[in-house]
Amino acid sequence: MTLDEDERAYLRTRFLEYHQTRDLAIRDELVAANLRLALHLARKYDHRGISLDDLEQVASLGLLQAVDRFDPTRGLEFSTFATPTIVGELRRHFRDKGWAVRVPRRVQELHVRLNTLVADLTHQHGRSPTIDELAAAARASTEEVLEAMEAAQAYRSHSIDAKGPSKSGDPEGAPGELGVDDLGLFEAENRLLVEDLLAHLTPRDQLLVRLRYYEEMTQHQIAARLGISQMHVSRRLARCLDDLRRRVSAVQR
Amino acid sequence: MSLHQDQGEDEAIRLDVPALGPYARVSRLAITGLASRSGCTYDEVEDVRIAVGEVFGLLVQPAAPTGRIRFICRVRDDELEISAERVPPAPIPSVTDLSRQILDAVTDESTIDEAGGRITMRKHQARPS
Repeated sequence: MTLDEDERAYLRTRFLEYHQTRDLAIRDELVAANLRLALHLARKYDHRGISLDDLEQVASLGLLQAVDRFDPTRGLEFSTFATPTIVGELRRHFRDKGWAVRVPRRVQELHVRLNTLVADLTHQHGRSPTIDELAAAARASTEEVLEAMEAAQAYRSHSIDAKGPSKSGDPEGAPGELGVDDLGLFEAENRLLVEDLLAHLTPRDQLLVRLRYYEEMTQHQIAARLGISQMHVSRRLARCLDDLRRRVSAVQR
Repeated sequence: MSLHQDQGEDEAIRLDVPALGPYARVSRLAITGLASRSGCTYDEVEDVRIAVGEVFGLLVQPAAPTGRIRFICRVRDDELEISAERVPPAPIPSVTDLSRQILDAVTDESTIDEAGGRITMRKHQARPS
């Protein structure tokens, strides 16, 4: 972070000494000297549902690992090496903590992978893929795919890719997508138009849009009520709004 | 839980589980397995999963967690029919508008017999070409 040149030179020699001796007293000194970097990175992930104390602890562990693995003879700055290690630890913590119910790692990973695969295959085939097609693409069995879909239920909304809370206090801070407010689609005077437009969506998509914008449920509440993942809700809503947006501009033309 | 074929002209499959919350997951998983076997797409399977979860929630009576829920599923050419009931029979206490909206949205047809404690729904399958 803000170390001056003398400090940096001194720490470089200490890193070399630690690299050779593995003296724990030197390790502690190196950790203490770089703690500000870890705390700085931890703060970046604050306000996302995990306490800052926890985050600082996770980041400090990441720092400790980085100090252990750092090879000073390669000529890299320590902060350059340590940042991805610490951020990696923070991200893993979010991923693990995001699962309210214990779900095996392989199922979690498959669940996350499915979201991308569903979008890709839908695009590729021009229709929703079958479970067999998904399983083949994911190199998993159909049972595993079904289990991963069911696991959505256990997935909570903590997402590392979510923005922190916005200034307007919208607790959703949802993954950079909707931007619906600028459409003014759901103002009273537009409701008739919207009803027409909604009729083009599938019944399930209509339900999602109604719950989100008429009932004003959050994505998280919708996901919990329907037993589907928030990612799925977010993806569907984004697609619906794209579709509505296209139709609105066609009407206006 | 029993999953076995019924005797009859079509292949009926019965799933009989205790009317307790945790069995919602078991029911969803088993019936989506059937839906996927009969060629439903990802979106259709997701619809079936939402429908089964919703029906389970309607039939479970948190105040009196006794009895069982029996699903009877029939796979036809392009349709999956699922009926669900309380065993022993009991009326469904309260069906909210939201529950009706959800079932309407994710099935092609749904009937709720509140007094008789039975819900029947149908899901058509679009055959991938």
